[in-house]
Amino acid sequence: MTVAEAYYEVVRRALESNIRDGSLPGGTRLYVAALADRLGVSRSPVKRALDMLEADGLIRRDGAQGWLVGTEPANDSRPNLHLFQLDLPDSGSATLIKPGWERILQTVADEVTRCIPFGIWKISEAELCTHFSVSRTVTREVLTRMHERGLIAKNRASHWIAGPLSAQMLNEVHDLRRLMEPLALKRAAARLERAGLIEMRARIEAAIAQGGTPTPDELDAIEDDLHIDCVAPQPNQRLADALPELRLSMVVNRQFARHVARHQETALLSEHRLVLDHLIAGDADGAAAALAFHLDADHERTRERLKVLSIFGGPDDDVPPYLSQVV
Amino acid sequence: MALGSEKPRLRVITRGEFAVPQIRDQVQKDLGFAIEFLVLDSTQGLQQVVTQPESFDIYHQWHTSDLIWTARCIQGIDLNRLEAGPRIKAAALSRSGVGRAIHTIFDRLFVQEDGRLGEALTDTVAVLPALHGVDAFVWRPELAPALNPGEAESWGWLLDPRWAGHVGLIADPVLGTIEAALAAEVQLGKPFGDIGNLTIDEVDTIADFLIHKKKIGHFKGFWNSQEEAMRLMQRGSVTIQSLFSPAVSQLRATGMNLRVASPLEGCRGWHSDMCISAATEGDALDAAYAYLDWYHNGWAGACLSRQGYYFIFPEVVRPHLTPEEWDYWYEGQPAARPLPGPDGTVTIPEGHRREGGSYRERMSSVRVWNTFMDEHTHVNRRWREFLSA
Repeated sequence: MTVAEAYYEVVRRALESNIRDGSLPGGTRLYVAALADRLGVSRSPVKRALDMLEADGLIRRDGAQGWLVGTEPANDSRPNLHLFQLDLPDSGSATLIKPGWERILQTVADEVTRCIPFGIWKISEAELCTHFSVSRTVTREVLTRMHERGLIAKNRASHWIAGPLSAQMLNEVHDLRRLMEPLALKRAAARLERAGLIEMRARIEAAIAQGGTPTPDELDAIEDDLHIDCVAPQPNQRLADALPELRLSMVVNRQFARHVARHQETALLSEHRLVLDHLIAGDADGAAAALAFHLDADHERTRERLKVLSIFGGPDDDVPPYLSQVV
Repeated sequence: MALGSEKPRLRVITRGEFAVPQIRDQVQKDLGFAIEFLVLDSTQGLQQVVTQPESFDIYHQWHTSDLIWTARCIQGIDLNRLEAGPRIKAAALSRSGVGRAIHTIFDRLFVQEDGRLGEALTDTVAVLPALHGVDAFVWRPELAPALNPGEAESWGWLLDPRWAGHVGLIADPVLGTIEAALAAEVQLGKPFGDIGNLTIDEVDTIADFLIHKKKIGHFKGFWNSQEEAMRLMQRGSVTIQSLFSPAVSQLRATGMNLRVASPLEGCRGWHSDMCISAATEGDALDAAYAYLDWYHNGWAGACLSRQGYYFIFPEVVRPHLTPEEWDYWYEGQPAARPLPGPDGTVTIPEGHRREGGSYRERMSSVRVWNTFMDEHTHVNRRWREFLSA
């Protein structure tokens, strides 16, 4: 996975293309705050992007009145930038790009996941900010979401900690998860859209038809379908809060898929399909029972897979600078 | 035909002890094609097996079969294609083999319909059993501390203060942790639940104890290979440590007086099996089956019996051994004449009797099998901490 492009660079590129194609015509007055609001991003990357565009000669500074596009005189003292039809990379969205946390979440999650079978790791918030050129706010959002996924936790000293994975920990979370997740699914069942369920089942059918060896990304999507999206509509907030950190087996499955040359997921796929079949038929109790069966079977697989992972001394790639091994 | 110039038709990953030079030469002569042997007895070797099945055809391994089957880097072996097939099935059915050895080997051998391993007979096995044995520690009687009258040999000696400063330990975390657990159980006076599958708390107890012992100078050295182990004893500084049987024979051949313990607590058992890579197909697959058949024809088993290993089917080996060799290695009788090792040099003097007795008696002493524990990551981490303490 490539490191996410610096935030200001995305802003700069978007502005440059909109200036060059005339969407932001010569003489348009640009203020940092107004641009940040229009693009749905924070101010500092906008400021940095404007400095770069000025150095490139695409805009010029107009004293305390912000910047002006091109060399033309100002055509409006304070234009409403929301009236401009801009061509932005994430088409269909009102803002320039995904929120900062969303752009880097997967990268950070992947990098952390790659490390935890090999010990305990501390995550430095400051290094995370520097590494991705993002703000503390973005970093905290990323860490919160990773916490929700069960990837990281806070230790007694209030540091963010990832790993280690142990068979004992898998046993302990499995005990809880097999009680709670089927319950959540039962509560959610009536609120699930049939069309969405059929789509999920199609993804599984496709993976089975291709020999039961989905790519890591396909597997992630299939796991998220059942264990996150199907469960999400249940109304109990305490249940919702408890579930994410019980999904450790997803971490192992994901890591196994990335380390091991040939992995076979036919059993997992068939079990997922069985749960979805029950949901599509409107049988919430059957779905919950099928999910409990799947969780038990998956637990056995996960324990075996963790053992395979245990022979790897460390992640293949360089460890990112925001992670330091504690033990 | 110059075998050396031919492109190898088969690539075998193995441990040095399982593919001694005599076996390498004989198998290529008998099969008539070139075989490349890769000796990889480290975790790196196992990583290669798991991540690059296309880099080998045969993997002759020990205590990793469940792990590599989970990773599906090996393919099922069709018993109908093997001369040993009916023999494997018969043995699995009758469980007639020796003591606990045969039982454990067959528990998770057959590929079941759902792809998992089990004991119910099918036509496909994940691995082909080959060799097994028991290991214990050795000690030098004339350099031993004063023992109590009638004191029985015990794994506890490895952590006993009376031997302080003279103890060697195997550096491998899998084997080392098992031996340390056997010793710690005695010294700490509390039994562990399952020595072959320790919990995190138990591993911590053992590791903390080992680190303390290391800091007070209890251990003289650690060894990674048989050669290192032999050097430790030859220098005279280490007078007690665990040792593999080929090294025992070789040290005895130099005239060293060694006692192989038959510990009160039982021995550490091991078995080796052969697997075929998931990526092997076509001609190479035919060659792989030919190799397995060859290995099971008795010649290789006899060759390695001369360094103290047992072949899965002793009756197949017997015709390839002299009666004196059979009586010494399998029956536990005194050597009727000097006996050679695999390379023909004498390693067993006339009149010597193998400690622990016959094949049946020795294999019945297995207390725990070499195995990757469920908490291997934790075992590994604490073991590294111990080695670098």
